[in-house]
Amino acid sequence: MMWLSGGFIFRRGTSAYHRLDPRVKLLISVLMFVTTLLVRSLYELALVLAFMVLVSAVATVLRRVARTMTLTALFSTFIFVINFLVTRDLGTSVLYALRFVAIVVSTSLFFITTSPDELEQVMKTFRLPRDVVFAFVTAVRFIPVMLLDTMQIMDAQKSRGLELDKGNVLRRVRNMIPILIPLVVNSVVRSGELAEAMESRAYGAVPKPTSLVEYRSTLTDRVVALTAVVTFAFVAYSFYYILPLQFP
Amino acid sequence: MIELQGVTFVHQNGVKALDGVSLKIDAGETVAIVGENGAGKTTLVKHVTGLLKPATGIVLVDGVSTTSVSTAQISRKIGVAFQNPDHQLFSESVEEEMAFALRNFGFPPDLVEERVRWGLELFGLEEYRKSSPLVLSGGEKKRLTLACILAWDPQVVILDEPTVGQDSIQKEKLAQTIRMLSSTGKTIVVVSHDIEFLWPIQPRVVVMKAGKIVGDGPAPRVMQDLSLLDSARVVQPQLVALHRGLSRKPLEPFVDPLDARRWLEADLK
Repeated sequence: MMWLSGGFIFRRGTSAYHRLDPRVKLLISVLMFVTTLLVRSLYELALVLAFMVLVSAVATVLRRVARTMTLTALFSTFIFVINFLVTRDLGTSVLYALRFVAIVVSTSLFFITTSPDELEQVMKTFRLPRDVVFAFVTAVRFIPVMLLDTMQIMDAQKSRGLELDKGNVLRRVRNMIPILIPLVVNSVVRSGELAEAMESRAYGAVPKPTSLVEYRSTLTDRVVALTAVVTFAFVAYSFYYILPLQFP
Repeated sequence: MIELQGVTFVHQNGVKALDGVSLKIDAGETVAIVGENGAGKTTLVKHVTGLLKPATGIVLVDGVSTTSVSTAQISRKIGVAFQNPDHQLFSESVEEEMAFALRNFGFPPDLVEERVRWGLELFGLEEYRKSSPLVLSGGEKKRLTLACILAWDPQVVILDEPTVGQDSIQKEKLAQTIRMLSSTGKTIVVVSHDIEFLWPIQPRVVVMKAGKIVGDGPAPRVMQDLSLLDSARVVQPQLVALHRGLSRKPLEPFVDPLDARRWLEADLK
């Protein structure tokens, strides 16, 4: 489980991509996301996926992106099956299934290279309400904690004779109850404790608190952002006016 | 009963949690595993229960390798009370919580009822029988988890940090329970930082440091080895430290504070 979760959880890195301004990383991810939605053929999607792999290699997170893809495999297979049953068109079904993988990878690339602190700064840039920013960033920050909780709960219940891998689907679903209840209860208790801890440390005491870190874009950030926008514009143009002529 | 032969385990983050650990625990022994945080104590326990499988080496429980059976099968022989009781409590009532493992192990209903009643009485939880386990205090939850394990009468009882969140009276009761279980021939393994709690029980002490066993022996010998304790960042029990500081003293360190008091009073006269 922890292995798969590595496809979405931030870990510190030293690559040039990690060092980029988080707003630029968000821009790149959003552009990749939109490009994926513009895709109309498998050739175009292959290009987008290749670009994502390239970005992952630059960010030295190729293996972790591979985990993201593994995690999405089940859902994309489901999408493929449903589409194939409805359309009876293999190409379209593969396109939709792979498009889902590409969408998830574009999002995952941002989250696995952006720390919760950077994420907070990005959200503040958009002038979102502080409480909303705090709630969202805290949720992201607590994903690894909840995963660890889940594993510990599973260990505890397996030690009491619970066999999670045995029985039919219904039995397996029922077997999840002893895992889910302690997980939810712990999360509720933890959120209450966190709220008290935040209040005792003057959360909300002033309407606009100061920030320890203020992000300022460097020349590299601006060049990368501009390159990303220009590349996106070219790719979008080529999808509609160049590639259809080459690969009708 | 339990045997680890050259067990090595590396976490996914590359940290070597166990490094060639070999340990043999005979039936009926009471063993304390001590060491600083990250020494590998809990990882060792998880290997014994089959929750983790060794990268190299072998773990045998009753002569059977943990790699060849499921954790649920091992649990029938080995009951573990984990550090945080909130990680296992989920049922609507205390009695349902106690019955959970018994049903998993296929106990007949009349025996489930009998074992639940016995466990609740043993740990003074009868009044909470119909209450939700989630509303119990920290100490009560801890006792409930222990009662849940003893209910199925495992041959080995492993307690991971059993004194966390317990007041001194509960600690004393827990120590009595351990002695009682030990007297009935159960194998007890206690993982704890609480040296003052362990000392009166006088267990065999296994000292761990950086995934290795650096000390193993009876409590009086291990707890008097200051260089060993210092290197493993384990604090010497106060009664042992007192014994060390006396100019005239008995051969063995005091086990009970009352013994120490009697000796000192006699010495002053």
